[in-house]
Amino acid sequence: MDADRRAAFLKQLHDAVVDMDEEKTPRLCREALEAGIDAYTAIMQGLAAGMDTVGRLYEQKEYFVPELLLCSDAMYAGLEVLRPQVKVGEHEAAGKIIMGVVEGDIHDIGKTLVKTMFEAAGWEIFDLGKDVKLERFAQTLRETGADVVALSALMTTSMMAMPKAIAMLKAVDPKVIVLVGGAPLNAEIARQYGADGYAPDAIAAVETAGRLFTKAA
Amino acid sequence: MHLPQDRMTSQERMAALFAGRRPDRVPLGAMSTGFNTRNAGHTVAEAYEDPEKSFADMQWTTEQYGWDPIPQYAGHTVLGAWDFGGQVRMPRGEYEGALVVTDYPVKTEADIERLRLPDPRTAGRIPLALRFARLQAEQGLPVYFFSRSPFTMAANIAGIDRFLRWTMKRPELCEQLLALSIDHIFNVLGLWVDTFGAERVFAWMSSPTESNQLVSPRIVKKFALPYHLAYHRRLADLGVRRFGFHICGEQNLNLPLLAEACPWSHPSVLSFGHEVDLETAAAHFPKDILFGNIEPAVIQTGTPEAVYALCRAAIEKGKNAPGGFILGPGCGLPVGAPPVNVYAMTRAVHDFGWYAA
Amino acid sequence: MHPMTSRERTDAILAGKPVDRIPHFPFILGFCARNLGYPIATIYSDAEKSFAAQKMTFEQYGVDWGPLYGYASYGTWEFGGQIDMPTGAYQQAPAHKCFPVKAEEDIDRLILPDVRTAGCLPIAMAFSRLQERHETPISVVMGGNFTIAGNICAVERLCRWMIKKPELAHRILRLATDHILDIVTHWVETFGAERVIPQFWEPLASNLIISPRQFRHFVLPYLVETGERIQELGVRHVLHHICGDQNANLPMWAEVPMGDPGLCSFGEEIDIDRAIAVLGAQAVIIGNLDPSLLLTGEPAEILERCRQTIEKGKRAPRGFMFSVGCELAPETPGYHLFLVQKALERFGTLGEP
Repeated sequence: MDADRRAAFLKQLHDAVVDMDEEKTPRLCREALEAGIDAYTAIMQGLAAGMDTVGRLYEQKEYFVPELLLCSDAMYAGLEVLRPQVKVGEHEAAGKIIMGVVEGDIHDIGKTLVKTMFEAAGWEIFDLGKDVKLERFAQTLRETGADVVALSALMTTSMMAMPKAIAMLKAVDPKVIVLVGGAPLNAEIARQYGADGYAPDAIAAVETAGRLFTKAA
Repeated sequence: MHLPQDRMTSQERMAALFAGRRPDRVPLGAMSTGFNTRNAGHTVAEAYEDPEKSFADMQWTTEQYGWDPIPQYAGHTVLGAWDFGGQVRMPRGEYEGALVVTDYPVKTEADIERLRLPDPRTAGRIPLALRFARLQAEQGLPVYFFSRSPFTMAANIAGIDRFLRWTMKRPELCEQLLALSIDHIFNVLGLWVDTFGAERVFAWMSSPTESNQLVSPRIVKKFALPYHLAYHRRLADLGVRRFGFHICGEQNLNLPLLAEACPWSHPSVLSFGHEVDLETAAAHFPKDILFGNIEPAVIQTGTPEAVYALCRAAIEKGKNAPGGFILGPGCGLPVGAPPVNVYAMTRAVHDFGWYAA
Repeated sequence: MHPMTSRERTDAILAGKPVDRIPHFPFILGFCARNLGYPIATIYSDAEKSFAAQKMTFEQYGVDWGPLYGYASYGTWEFGGQIDMPTGAYQQAPAHKCFPVKAEEDIDRLILPDVRTAGCLPIAMAFSRLQERHETPISVVMGGNFTIAGNICAVERLCRWMIKKPELAHRILRLATDHILDIVTHWVETFGAERVIPQFWEPLASNLIISPRQFRHFVLPYLVETGERIQELGVRHVLHHICGDQNANLPMWAEVPMGDPGLCSFGEEIDIDRAIAVLGAQAVIIGNLDPSLLLTGEPAEILERCRQTIEKGKRAPRGFMFSVGCELAPETPGYHLFLVQKALERFGTLGEP
């Protein structure tokens, strides 16, 4: 396939994600595979590139959460087609991340969006969901040896669980990078709590994790 | 506590504020539930489950910190998920401060067809809220009726992410839920008016799901605003004159829409989070009483000096708002706030809140 | 009429002059940490934070006098043992971990601690410098002679020795007494005798532990000696916290020199009327609401019991300060402490000074 046609395919995939098209995206993915485009390339330069644009649109206040949710639905529909075709062992994940909403808090929409952005950026994700007991974060860290743990909270009450969670995680692995986020938090509180980083939104979370992870490596 | 220089009682202060006159000092209020019960030696859950304890603890904490009774919040009168048949549990453990929804009544389109308007005498925590309201009436306090905005309540029935997807893909389902929500609010509000009289009822609304952290002003205009207009038409029909609106979170992009529509009677109390600058709020809503906007996370994790400094700045900005100003937290008072930080707010009003006699 | 400031109230009480209302004398430590969101250990391990937390909490609740540094297990650490700072959910103050004297032969190894470096004394000194800077009473808190002795060798051992080997008990009491005099001398040299108000907390001498006869032989002589020597240093007032049930000891306490006026605070086990009858002629009476009532009582009962205590205390000829009978539990609901403030404002006013 010539480079122009390949680029056009990837651009279409990108656009389908940005246009929130949950039907068209998987169809295009199948067509891309049939046309001989490598599944990994289609993910990274099509779907993930689309989510990058979505992130920018969110920062520009063009897109809000409903749009983000539908874009992420489209991306996941595409991933379902492409992921089984990625050759095992050929591409390393960007890093391993554990995420969840801390004990006492069921507000998981922010965490869901963070997950989408990490998915798009090629991270291996262990999503523990919402209302996660602190010990489970530590246990999962012991089991997976993840590079990063991302903790989320929306309530001023539940965010009080974070210092304890961070202490537990650091006790398991002093080098693990802990990120915190959620509406009541800010960089100062994150620092007080002993976190390595804070991100105000899902897009910034991926950037911050990537930056801290590269620095540590 | 009664501040030593107070020249008015709380009641006189509130009356002056609503009559458009300057009170003796900036009033101080707090949306506070679990902080009160803990302050009086009870649990957070008791704030929601035991109206008598909750009420007593609230009056005591109000006296202790010199709050004015605005608003007296003991949880929502009406709720989305719970009232419509979902599952809710009480807060428990170290890190919970509010009701927790464990199951939403609407998960599919078909669930909406099965929804019925809840019975105001039995649904959710309405009977408990009614007991609380009776205590307010007996003490001669305003009888607060708390609901979320129809948009926020509708999202709470279906779960936020499902509801937000439907705003894009199935707007007609959103409209069905919105219509049910507003009908439910007024069903129960009707009961309140019948029981206490419209004069006594103070309707209070919060709209967290309309925040621009979640939705665009376009969505607010399309789905939320029409129901604000309808709400205030129906409120006026019932004869309820007192209204407070907690415009929760980051809503800067919605302010022009709300200011243009401005469907409430004046003065109403408009409560803002720290995300909205008080001078911006005053410019948009010159006829209303501003309430806010100390950042709850600072009240919870900051030093008393930091809280005091924020209060001083807020008082200086808000004090001369044309419609009046009440100092308070920018959202619910955190359950676990160090008490000295709550006292720092009282102290700031004491030091900077006075109007010339 | 403008109400008196805390400092004016304290100065007036010590000078035997009238006050506008009954002062609230603090016995509030861990509660202050909670009030600021600090771990309780902060009160004992960080002089700056401890002082600031108490100062702010006292302002919030209208508590007088000024911040204090001290704990009942004083002596263990200073003589070479170990204590644990309170860390668990249910701990309220430092606790013994390891006593310096576990057997008879350990006594030979005991030496008088260097008061500039031993145990918590550097923190206590830093705290007193803050008391000086903020012009609050400079009250260094120690155990009483008997309590320090018990904290050196464990109270069970001290009790056994009192009966079986009294000479060993006296050796330890001698060391405790000399140590107390060293501390007071150091504080007097640093701040001047007229500013220093030493405090002695004497829980181990309670009649739940020892008999009045044992008190006469093993406690009183050392208290008298200490009191005389401290007065010779020029110190004007000494505060004794007569902790727990010491009803049977009470008449002997009247023999202890404690300044003019002295200051005596009582546990809730002692009736204020009796305290006044026995010690009121020589000391300001301080006490003595049951802290467990403040922890778990109903508001109406708290208010009423405060009123009763205040009404009794008003009859003290050398003055009265309201206080809890022992340390306020850190978990005490804030509203209950506010009720004390309310009671003092409502029932404790004494007209214009």
